[in-house]
Amino acid sequence: MKICIFEDEGYENLYPLSLTRPVFELKCGQVTLKERILRNFPGVYVSYFLRDYLTPVFSQDKKEVSVNEMEALKNENVLFINGRWLLSKGELNLTGEEEVGICGEETLYLRATTKTIKDCFSLNFREFIDSLKQKLKKKEVKARLVNYPWDLINNNCWALEEDFEFRVKKDVQGKLPSSATIYGEKDRVFIARSATIQPLVLLDSTKGSIYIDEEAIVFAHSHIKGPSYIGKKSQILGANIGEGISIGPTSRVGGEVEETIIHGFTNKAHRGFFGHSYLGEWINIGALCTNSDLKNDYSTVQVYIKGEFKDSEATKVGSFMGDHTKLGIGCLLNTGTIIGVGSNIVTAGKVLPKFIPSFTWYLNGKFYKGYGLKQIIETAKVVMSRRKVAISSEEVKVLEEAFKITKKEREKLIEKSKR
Amino acid sequence: MSVEERVKKIVMQQLRAREDEVTREARFVQDLGAESIDSIELMAAFEADFDIEIPPEEGERVQTVGEAVGYIEKKLKKL
Repeated sequence: MKICIFEDEGYENLYPLSLTRPVFELKCGQVTLKERILRNFPGVYVSYFLRDYLTPVFSQDKKEVSVNEMEALKNENVLFINGRWLLSKGELNLTGEEEVGICGEETLYLRATTKTIKDCFSLNFREFIDSLKQKLKKKEVKARLVNYPWDLINNNCWALEEDFEFRVKKDVQGKLPSSATIYGEKDRVFIARSATIQPLVLLDSTKGSIYIDEEAIVFAHSHIKGPSYIGKKSQILGANIGEGISIGPTSRVGGEVEETIIHGFTNKAHRGFFGHSYLGEWINIGALCTNSDLKNDYSTVQVYIKGEFKDSEATKVGSFMGDHTKLGIGCLLNTGTIIGVGSNIVTAGKVLPKFIPSFTWYLNGKFYKGYGLKQIIETAKVVMSRRKVAISSEEVKVLEEAFKITKKEREKLIEKSKR
Repeated sequence: MSVEERVKKIVMQQLRAREDEVTREARFVQDLGAESIDSIELMAAFEADFDIEIPPEEGERVQTVGEAVGYIEKKLKKL
């Protein structure tokens, strides 16, 4: 028996976060959706199916798995798992009846034998899955499926608690200075051995667990509420970290944040508030940038998804930002704002529009094409080298493809700005 | 109004420069104090006023008022 984690057509609803990575590489809690699935099936062989242009980057350093290879599915029973599923511990068994698990209209998983796979086989993965769906017995399942970016945020507290249970084996390992305080249960706080906690830090575990990973530094006067996760080599710069925070590796966070996922390698070092938001990689947020996550009339928030405004049916929604985007000082983000990949924003105190396409310069109320993709890649090289990371040619190709995909929406707004 | 007059008028407006500063030899960055943001806005203003398309890599090479005049005159001839 092997497993196959796949992307379905739902990836577009997760733009711009999924423009530069497969949906199952998005994070919720401490880990990616993929890692959450895989830890339920240790040692099992894995196949992946994802958009072609993402394959070279995804396949780097993964020699033992197959990616987009239909033939690899032929010789064993396979458990196919939707990559957008926030799979919980013990929620799905590797073996069991042949069936398709359905959550509303969405396919969660398909369990099929070699014979059924052969009967339904097609070289087109989508057609193959559709064929399996027709053939297999349906089972209604309740599940946490990520349909929209805000689903990652809304499930983050739950995911953080599950991840804490999954990972913690021992109590505090790192040192806690005498003037730093754990307020709440001590066994709900984990400080990795190589992490540093400076004096006058308050770790509040009364409402949830706190996990501070290897080589993280929590500077003096930081206040961290659980559930929260501070990733490897990240720095908390005297910040007010509210509950529901996931900070990936090598990020710097200051000011105030709550219910937010920072994917990794992102700087939000200064004062300013971010809430109910997801920030991709290699983002820089200037001082005093702030997002709204609640409307003044407490109505549900509309978010620009696939070319139109979609009602999130939630009253608390922040902003979602693609990789390599830069916000100049003092940007004010409206409730439910989407900013694409590789954008450059400078405002003159006014609230930003709710949708800024990828690779766009938004300057003082107008959209521009800026210096183009070449310059964005040059800037990315400089930014990444500061963290001793080199951008690969495959990663450049992903940005080039993302540039093509978003061309129409970008040109439409730039043209409108000229009038 | 000639191309040169139109270009100079746009430069004065966008970069808040005086008429006597905006000579053909004036460099946008060194002489007129244009930041990268100003340059982007300036190229967009040329595009809108002359109804032309300036690719980013070509726009980057235009560094003086005179070069802008020459570049736009060439573009307009091709239309």
